Amino acid sequence: MVKLDQINISNDGLTKFFSPIEAAILRSLWNEGEMMTSELTEKTKIPLTSIAGTLDRLVKAGYAARRVDTVNGRMRYVYAPVYSEDEVASEITTKIMDSLVDTFGRVAIENFSKYSDKK
Amino acid sequence: MNLIGEINCFGLCLKLSENAPIVGLLIVSSVALLVAGIMIKMPKHRLSMFVSAQITVFLAIISTFYLMKCEGMLTIYLYFGYALVSSAIIFGALRFYDRVMIKRLNAKPIKNVLSWIQEFTGGLANATVYYYDSAVPRAFAAGRSVFVSMGLLEILTDDELKAVLAHEAWHIRNNSRTPFLKQLAVMTFSSHKKDELEELADIFAVEIAGSEALSSARCKVDKVFI
Repeated sequence: MVKLDQINISNDGLTKFFSPIEAAILRSLWNEGEMMTSELTEKTKIPLTSIAGTLDRLVKAGYAARRVDTVNGRMRYVYAPVYSEDEVASEITTKIMDSLVDTFGRVAIENFSKYSDKK
Repeated sequence: MNLIGEINCFGLCLKLSENAPIVGLLIVSSVALLVAGIMIKMPKHRLSMFVSAQITVFLAIISTFYLMKCEGMLTIYLYFGYALVSSAIIFGALRFYDRVMIKRLNAKPIKNVLSWIQEFTGGLANATVYYYDSAVPRAFAAGRSVFVSMGLLEILTDDELKAVLAHEAWHIRNNSRTPFLKQLAVMTFSSHKKDELEELADIFAVEIAGSEALSSARCKVDKVFI
């Protein structure tokens, strides 16, 4: 799960909340649904040797799930996203809002309502 | 008797004893064997030289104890206690380390899914192959078991996999001997020559699967960043 101490608001896009490799994997899984490891390395253009550890971490953290497929006498992992992009966005937003309200209280809430009026 | 007093006593006894030259000779020979070992290229001979050096150090320790001709010394009791505990760990607990790893990694026997891997490894050593859930390509041997990760099965070709399995099978074949090397290293307060054992396992893997398969497997596995 996203940890608040890993959030870096000066980064771009998803890399604010995930490492660049985690973000690339999640983006591909959300776009494609189920993917084999070879398809993941092709889409993300990151070699397996670089993403193997990250895949383990994403599965352990519950963002991705994988099953083992045996095809033509070879074993392969097939990955799938556990949460949709919206569900993850909602989790991150709630976490950040909670932390803002926790720290700034009324001022944070006033700013949220100003923000929603503007939108 | 206190420890510092005993250590001073060792020095004095060595100085006075007529057997002191034997201890000196053993120490000089162990240094000579160590130097010769560094200069030798063949891993098998380098390992033998290193082990001979360790044996002479061990003999030097035992002869020092002998020439003390003294009973009830704390250092001697400590050394034998250390020997007993370490051999219980090395010859006892480490042999069953694979049972611990099977539980910890939730490893499953590979014969149920890819039987040729078990048959191939079983033909080289009396070992059971297990696979475990991880995308990071890894293989290792413990006790009478070889462990391979799913990531390894994914990225290696059959020939590369054979090279890795042969390497691990060599470790299992020599598992009856390696605990003695570990014990000797512990008894002489030195390290055991892991690199040489790895080199010998690689030589065996080349004999079984060819150098090309081994080097390409090594190249794929070594590039992994965790």
